[in-house]
Amino acid sequence: GQTAPEKPEIIKCRSPEKETFSCWWKPGYDGGLPTNYTLLYTKENHPEVIECPDYKTSGPYSCYFDKKHTSLWTIYIIVVNATNEKGSNASEPFFVDVTYIIEPYPPTNVSLTVEKKHLLVKWFPPLLVDVKYGWLTLVYELRLKSEKAQEWEIHFTGKQTHFKVFSLHPGENHVVQVRCKPDHGFWSEWSPESYVQIPKIFQEKDMTVW
Amino acid sequence: LPICPNGSVNCQISTGDLFDRAVKLSHYIHSLSTEIFNEFDERYAQDRGFITKSINACHTSSLNTPEDKVQAQQIQHEDLLNLVLRVLRSWNDPLVHLVSEVQGIKEAPDTILWKAIEIEDQTKRLLEGMEKIVKRVQPGDLGNEVYSLWPGPPAVQVADDDSRLFAFYNLLHCLRRDSHKIDNYLKLLKCRLIQDSSC
Repeated sequence: GQTAPEKPEIIKCRSPEKETFSCWWKPGYDGGLPTNYTLLYTKENHPEVIECPDYKTSGPYSCYFDKKHTSLWTIYIIVVNATNEKGSNASEPFFVDVTYIIEPYPPTNVSLTVEKKHLLVKWFPPLLVDVKYGWLTLVYELRLKSEKAQEWEIHFTGKQTHFKVFSLHPGENHVVQVRCKPDHGFWSEWSPESYVQIPKIFQEKDMTVW
Repeated sequence: LPICPNGSVNCQISTGDLFDRAVKLSHYIHSLSTEIFNEFDERYAQDRGFITKSINACHTSSLNTPEDKVQAQQIQHEDLLNLVLRVLRSWNDPLVHLVSEVQGIKEAPDTILWKAIEIEDQTKRLLEGMEKIVKRVQPGDLGNEVYSLWPGPPAVQVADDDSRLFAFYNLLHCLRRDSHKIDNYLKLLKCRLIQDSSC
């Protein structure tokens, strides 16, 4: 028969650039009735209860907090209510500080240029991230392999947004991806795969030491 | 890398180098603070609901610090530098207490003690560096007013394990938060003052 909805569960909150953030929840069984979800929150040193400012921007079962509603170094206490004709059920409170949930989008515009003795890889920070001003510091990691190979070769490039790769397989197609991480936070996903064909006559860098 | 090579006279480190060292230290201190917090949280704080009690409980929360990028952009760099100094100074006594308190915690792993000592040492070094930077950037009175926002360790009966553990949890929670603030502001100041906001 028709019942009150099961309690929803808040599953994740993330900020892509330390200026806004989003939270997502998983609905429970809706009791066989149309069910409405409301996200309510309070903030450390702001005890009044506020409703989610934007349920749309981050997709279904989500709440998007724009710049005006986002503070760092502040604990948010978030609860989601599920309501239908038969009743209502609230999630467990979810405690989050935006400071510790930074997960950027992948780097953009990865470009590959075959030069005389190396492959030059260049990229840009993800969109909307303010690296120039120093509010967010990003570091990068690049991975590359010949299309036939199994193992990736990984290079940590620090804050640099370009990198020269010397260890290449002449005559083979290579795939390259880049990802980034804030100074304190989570790695992004890898960028989409970029491909480059290394010419057969490619001159390996002379690695003789003596 | 010695501050000044031996025998050099009037060796003057550039402000940029001072900022480089400060940012390396602040980054390291926050990483350690995160590790010690996570280690303590996993071992002693699971399912005790400490986070609900640590809301509004940092001794530095009365300091009016910027909470987002817009506020940080609007604040003068002299004021932001002085805020960093105040937050750092407000941790002198609590860090001394933290190191002594760790040794009283049941089966506390050596790693927690080692990190507490390392954080205390490196925070002192960072404070020294910041005082040099502030003297360089705004010659004049450093404003070394003696103050301590920290009310001292809570009066806790030795037997009351839960209260003692919460007091420790809250200190680590606030340390993680404040060390992140310091690191964030210093990276921002470095970009603004040294790299002309073009990092």
